[in-house]
Amino acid sequence: MTATANVTMPAGATPPASPRDTRAKKRRRGRFGDRVLPYLLLLPALAAILVLLAWPLVQVLAISFRKLDIGQLVSGKTVWIGFDNYANTLSDPEFWTITVRTLVFTASIVAATILGGLLLAVLMRHLDPVVRIIVQVTLVLAWATPVIATTTVFQWIFDQQYGILNKTLDRLGFHSFIGFSWFSSGPSTLSVIGLLIVWQAVPFVTFSLYAGLIGVPREQYEAAGIDGAGPWQTFRAVTWPAIRPITTMVTFLSVLWDFNAFAQIWAIREGGPDGGSTTLAVVLYLKGIAGNHFGAAGAIATLMLIVLALITGRYIQLLTRTREGDLA
Amino acid sequence: MKRWLKLAAGAAALTLATAGCAGSSGTDTAASSSGAPAQLSGDVTVWLMTGSAPATLTDALNKEFEAAHPGVKVKYEIQQWDGIQQKLTTALASGAPPDVIEIGNTQTAAFASNDGVLTDLTADKDSFNGAQWLKGLADSGTYEGKIYGVPFYAANREVIYRKDMFEQAGITKTPTSNDEWVDAIGKLKTKFGSDPDFQALYMPGQNWYALLSFIWDNGGDIAQPDGKNFKATLDSAGAKAGLDFYKKLVDTSGTKAPKDADEAKPQQATVYGAGKVAMMIGLPWEVATAAKTDPSLTAKTGAFAIPSKTAGQSAPVFLGGSNLAIPANSKNVAAAKEYIKLLSSPKYQSQLAAAGVVPGTSTDLTGLDKDPMGSVMAKASTNGKAVPASPKWGDVESGQNPVKDMLTAYLTGKKTLDQATADANAALNKLIGG
Repeated sequence: MTATANVTMPAGATPPASPRDTRAKKRRRGRFGDRVLPYLLLLPALAAILVLLAWPLVQVLAISFRKLDIGQLVSGKTVWIGFDNYANTLSDPEFWTITVRTLVFTASIVAATILGGLLLAVLMRHLDPVVRIIVQVTLVLAWATPVIATTTVFQWIFDQQYGILNKTLDRLGFHSFIGFSWFSSGPSTLSVIGLLIVWQAVPFVTFSLYAGLIGVPREQYEAAGIDGAGPWQTFRAVTWPAIRPITTMVTFLSVLWDFNAFAQIWAIREGGPDGGSTTLAVVLYLKGIAGNHFGAAGAIATLMLIVLALITGRYIQLLTRTREGDLA
Repeated sequence: MKRWLKLAAGAAALTLATAGCAGSSGTDTAASSSGAPAQLSGDVTVWLMTGSAPATLTDALNKEFEAAHPGVKVKYEIQQWDGIQQKLTTALASGAPPDVIEIGNTQTAAFASNDGVLTDLTADKDSFNGAQWLKGLADSGTYEGKIYGVPFYAANREVIYRKDMFEQAGITKTPTSNDEWVDAIGKLKTKFGSDPDFQALYMPGQNWYALLSFIWDNGGDIAQPDGKNFKATLDSAGAKAGLDFYKKLVDTSGTKAPKDADEAKPQQATVYGAGKVAMMIGLPWEVATAAKTDPSLTAKTGAFAIPSKTAGQSAPVFLGGSNLAIPANSKNVAAAKEYIKLLSSPKYQSQLAAAGVVPGTSTDLTGLDKDPMGSVMAKASTNGKAVPASPKWGDVESGQNPVKDMLTAYLTGKKTLDQATADANAALNKLIGG
């Protein structure tokens, strides 16, 4: 028994190294196995990533440099046309209008989703358990409803002739809403679609943020209360730092989802009226699936990927540079 | 680590190289098939669309075909319209496509315009009863002088009306000119207008097939051939006059149909079935749909051809329908040709007519004449026309149709006649021109 055995070590410090000689021997014996084993263990995951992600990506890239209409698809001829698909897409002024529209649309609904989710999450913390469960069940139901079902219901609500919204507004005294068409212009149509997407996206964000919130120790709020902090100060000093990483993450995910939103937009008015609610995802569908111009669609898909990479670049940078849980 | 990087780069390069030759097998299988071989063998896979031909017809046809060609087995499969273009694209690109396919006439050019997608049937026209082909359909199956699609059947729209309501409103004979038509609408409104739900004519804002009739009737067209391409002509005087007449019908009838939807949203037959609509522009079999709501409608309903601006004539109509084609990759072209030959024979064509459609390769319409709705359609079909046989027409129909946008913009007053037609013309040119 030496005195050193009783020394308490600070938490998280490395335990004392094992005697040098045994370790060296082991290393010599198992050198090959030790070095190869980690890679072998990585192999299945790597193979899955290559097959499921890298391969399609490479395919899309390759297709975007080809003329691939139905003729080429059937005959199997490969026609390389260099950057023609990109040049055609980028030289179309409408493409830029649609890109700006998509970005504004995405930014608005992401902001609305995060704000709504945050407010609901904070609210849930202060609710009586019974009421909270009711709110949670409601949110889950909204979340669990299939996209197309919800879209149909929204179409009924906003219907020009028989919609309950116009009827209600009329009863409330706003008689100008009789026969009002919510889908008569692009911005108006996109607002309805935005509302629909936000309505479906808020539950997930709320639950994620609420999970972050219940991780904050009660004592911190008590301490803030003792120090005389008001609700806003408490939120800024205690709540926000705790849920900031998770907010960053759900924002990132929302950007990805909303930027690529298609089903709701197509189901409501197929990008109409007069192309007014067409976003990049709709253009992609029109070119690729409706028009059978797979090469041009590949170029648009690649451009969308670049735009997404640009707007989420900061997050990806943080993700690759920092350790787990350090996102802020 | 570096070695891994090199390996990954190598893999990427390899995938790039192989991506280029995806599906490069099985190209020239169907090129050589001349004459009628004495002995056919193997399977012949036939894809017809749902509702195209009654089961009694296809059962007899397949039985007769197999009896005549003992070596051949018919694999008959019924397809759904929903998503058929994608399904056909995938099937045609595969090494073993079906041998006989049915393609919607507006979609045929998209397939025919590409070399090596469909088999050239120009030399076989005579064996498919070529002398009696329905012109509007035959045009849609022809691309640059070569025949890729054999007319199968067609149908066209007519005005479906309530005989009892016409009688009560004092309309003794069905309208045969645009003026008489508008007159009839007025009389119906005078008689039944007190009912707020009554519509003299159900006219949704985007029934662009009806618009086609009016445009053609006024001497216009939506597009004209321009060398190898097409040039939109929606800003022509005839097109404007057609659009204006559409608006006149919508305005005078006071229809409550949505201005930003077509006749399928909601299904106009269902609206007609509710019994408050005196007329709609539709296909003969929509009456059966309406009768599901109210069976008494079958007896109360009649039909007349879409009137023309010239008294006594009827307006040209859009011929909707299908063509039959043989994929170029088909493994059994000879048997497929024999199958189409049998299907285009008068025996089976007259059965098609009896089933209520206009047969594609026979001028014998006696089967249709037995049915009052059918006979009206059959008569109008002789003046039938098709949409431009542009290979890019699929972009118009399955994408955002500028003609529909034009209708909504003009009917809702968002754009003037000149503005709406000019915008639609530019949009259509972008899709099918150049």
